[in-house]
Amino acid sequence: MKRDPIILVVVAVVIAGMLFFAVKRSHQNSASIPQTSMSGVAKVGGPAPNFTLETLDGKKVSLADYRGKAVLVNFWATWCEPCNVEMPWLVDLHKKYAAQGFEILGVAMDDASPKDIAKFAQDKGVNYPVLIGQDAVGNAYGGVAFLPENFYVDRNGKMIDRAFGLKGKPEIEDDIQKIIASAPDQNVATGN
Amino acid sequence: MRKIGKTIRAVIFGITAALCTLSYAQDSPGSQAPSVTMAPPGITNVTRGTSGKVELQFRIMHGFHINSNAPTEEYLIPTALNMEAPTDIVVGRITYPDGQNITLPFAPDLKLNVYSGDFSILVNVRPLSSVIPGKYALHGRLKYQACDKAACYPPKEMPVTFEVKVVKGAPAAVRRNPAQSPHAHY
Repeated sequence: MKRDPIILVVVAVVIAGMLFFAVKRSHQNSASIPQTSMSGVAKVGGPAPNFTLETLDGKKVSLADYRGKAVLVNFWATWCEPCNVEMPWLVDLHKKYAAQGFEILGVAMDDASPKDIAKFAQDKGVNYPVLIGQDAVGNAYGGVAFLPENFYVDRNGKMIDRAFGLKGKPEIEDDIQKIIASAPDQNVATGN
Repeated sequence: MRKIGKTIRAVIFGITAALCTLSYAQDSPGSQAPSVTMAPPGITNVTRGTSGKVELQFRIMHGFHINSNAPTEEYLIPTALNMEAPTDIVVGRITYPDGQNITLPFAPDLKLNVYSGDFSILVNVRPLSSVIPGKYALHGRLKYQACDKAACYPPKEMPVTFEVKVVKGAPAAVRRNPAQSPHAHY
């Protein structure tokens, strides 16, 4: 059978193009566009998986306690430089929007001791609760294979958006404004 | 024959184009897990009773960096090679290369000291004088923590193994006393 090399080149280029768009689209879906399916349990547009974790001073905190508030669940670690870059922005944004019912839960996915995490957070001027992370919680949020990862939860406990890796402060603020703008259901009890 | 060559070239070109576009599309946080690999180290000959240096060469996957052995902040995890202590061969100083200073796109004022691409670590070894000549395997673990331009991945440890061949040294020169007269008595 005779094969024209030009046809083979065209076929190869078409396959390359398809691969490019498939990977690009898959990444866009997973990174920013709201979607209904996700690996793990968490789904954008669905209820944010509830968790109960300990704060650095040993108190138990559940995400459900914050029903009625707009919550940013921020997975971070002391060894994560982009998290370190993001942290002062989160402190500023927490100050700016706390009065509008905004809260941040910083989940430390770290092997460092609670004492070291507390010192780190204190040095950075963190003004929101820092929780000691557990793998099970990370798994419920899709595995948290890298950091930072941010999950935006509206006043009704619904996950509105998520962001993988460091984004710019304006993008983070946009997402915070979205969850603050969510109206609580009338029948939802307000926690905290 | 010439047509077959053209066909092969066309297929190679197509595959290369596909791989290039795929690699471009994956240039974003989380689309690939970082990896560090070690080149096969070969066997280094070291004379027993003396020191020798073993060069270990590592490669970091494109698009990622790892902290150098001397990162700019104390909370960052340095790249470190920890060798198990063998009984017959002393592992001495481990020499790391200088890192490269980089900045993150979102934090241009913050300098990081990192390795990217290829880097080498030198391990000083000294077989004891009593070691039986032959090949010896040394084992260790390289701890590193990788990031790309916007995200960081949990610290990892990779096993590191290399061999040294201990050889006998040249026989020490025998110190001879000056010839003396058999009749000289003191």
